[in-house]
Amino acid sequence: MKQKYIPLRILNEEERKNILKNLKEQFGINEIPGILLARGRERLFLFCGSLTGKEIKYIEKDNPVERVGVYFAKIVIDNGEEKIRPSIEGTQILRDQITKNVYTLNDEQAEEWMKGREIQVRTGMRGFIAIKHGKDFLGCGKASEDKITNFIPKNRRVKEKAQ
Amino acid sequence: MNKNKKPEPKPLFLERMNKLLEGKDFEEYLEILKKEPVRSIRCNTNKISPKDLKERLEAKGWIINNPFKNNPDVMIVEGKSEENNSKDLDPGELGRSLEHVLGYYYIQELSSMLPIIALNPKEGETVLDLCASPGSKTTQIASYTKNNGTIIANEVSIGRIKILASNLERCGVSSAMITKQDGAVLCKRLKEQGIRFDKILVDAPCSGEGTLRSSPKTYKMWNIKTVKNLPKIQLRLFKNAFEVLKEGGEIVYSTCTHAPEENEGIVNSILKELGDEIEIEKINLPIKCRQGIQEWQEEEYKEETKYSCRIYPHDANTEGFFIAKFRKVKK
Repeated sequence: MKQKYIPLRILNEEERKNILKNLKEQFGINEIPGILLARGRERLFLFCGSLTGKEIKYIEKDNPVERVGVYFAKIVIDNGEEKIRPSIEGTQILRDQITKNVYTLNDEQAEEWMKGREIQVRTGMRGFIAIKHGKDFLGCGKASEDKITNFIPKNRRVKEKAQ
Repeated sequence: MNKNKKPEPKPLFLERMNKLLEGKDFEEYLEILKKEPVRSIRCNTNKISPKDLKERLEAKGWIINNPFKNNPDVMIVEGKSEENNSKDLDPGELGRSLEHVLGYYYIQELSSMLPIIALNPKEGETVLDLCASPGSKTTQIASYTKNNGTIIANEVSIGRIKILASNLERCGVSSAMITKQDGAVLCKRLKEQGIRFDKILVDAPCSGEGTLRSSPKTYKMWNIKTVKNLPKIQLRLFKNAFEVLKEGGEIVYSTCTHAPEENEGIVNSILKELGDEIEIEKINLPIKCRQGIQEWQEEEYKEETKYSCRIYPHDANTEGFFIAKFRKVKK
């Protein structure tokens, strides 16, 4: 069955401000570098190329566009509140700006994390946190009292060695 | 039937290759086809420097070499060291590493890196990659342009576009727009919209004769009908792409096949049909390549086709490739 084409939506100034406010509160982010786009309600994309929003829409008018930029973050409702959960690429793009709610994994935990497993640990933090290992940013998790929930998508997990 | 047995090349394919390569040259070609290709990777410089990547991979015990002096991003994984001995990597080990999953490198065959080395896209440029999946060359463009500029990466196949999107995602390509369209139709529409590009890559669909080492199924799939039918599609793609190239802009035509009909035959048609609008350019590549041939099966090609590059697997222990570069003449 042919999938219905969902047009790209370039976020307006107010929506962008709200997202930045959210990211500032949670991670200390001061700037989002590029154009923010949405396809559907939840998934946010970031385009850092030289095209303007107008030019993107102009090209899309006559051509089916599969994607623009990288998957940057997801809008999620957490305890009735709207939150922003950056993707692996999102945390890597924002790496120099993330100043709070970062948890650094040890080697063993990082291996488990990249296999998509939750980490049993008391971080002392709550809500969405950026996950780091050495210099690498490994996306976001959700910290609760004694664990970090994993959101690494299947296609970004380190595969187990075949026996 | 032994399922592990490598398929045999078809007699007509061998006959044609023996016309391109004679005597010892042909024997050496056949010999290298029996060998596994080298494991090559390209550092994604948008995420990590070649020096840091090399250090990280060497810390795993991998033996890394840089084959091209001026391209430190290109690396060969020779194997891994183990208690003073070297041994081969485990199957799939290259794709299972954390560095791969994080998009710090792309597993890419050496010869497949050459079209972008030839195109040499730079920061701020607008680049069209007309047949982009699986994304090896698009991610290479993004690396060279430092995600600064714009790439339109097009792919017509729905199945292949998912792979393209996934690879661009992993490599953090934030300057690309992925379009899903027949390449020629896309160019027509972009032309009507007044969109023009500084650089274009037409890595055309082809019969894949150059990929026999890594993809032996090509032996089975190869047939002369495909070789005879593809040039129509390839020429159509190129001519439409040329329409959206800026004056003074550069365009690379490449295939992973040896068939002259799909290579010098196309270059010859391009030079004939586009006349003084286009110039073929000499290419400097970091590996041995041979000049384009001047005649094939009683057809003589224009002399300038010799500026195209033929890459044979036995010349530099790679896969086979063909590359030609052109410039749109300023009026």
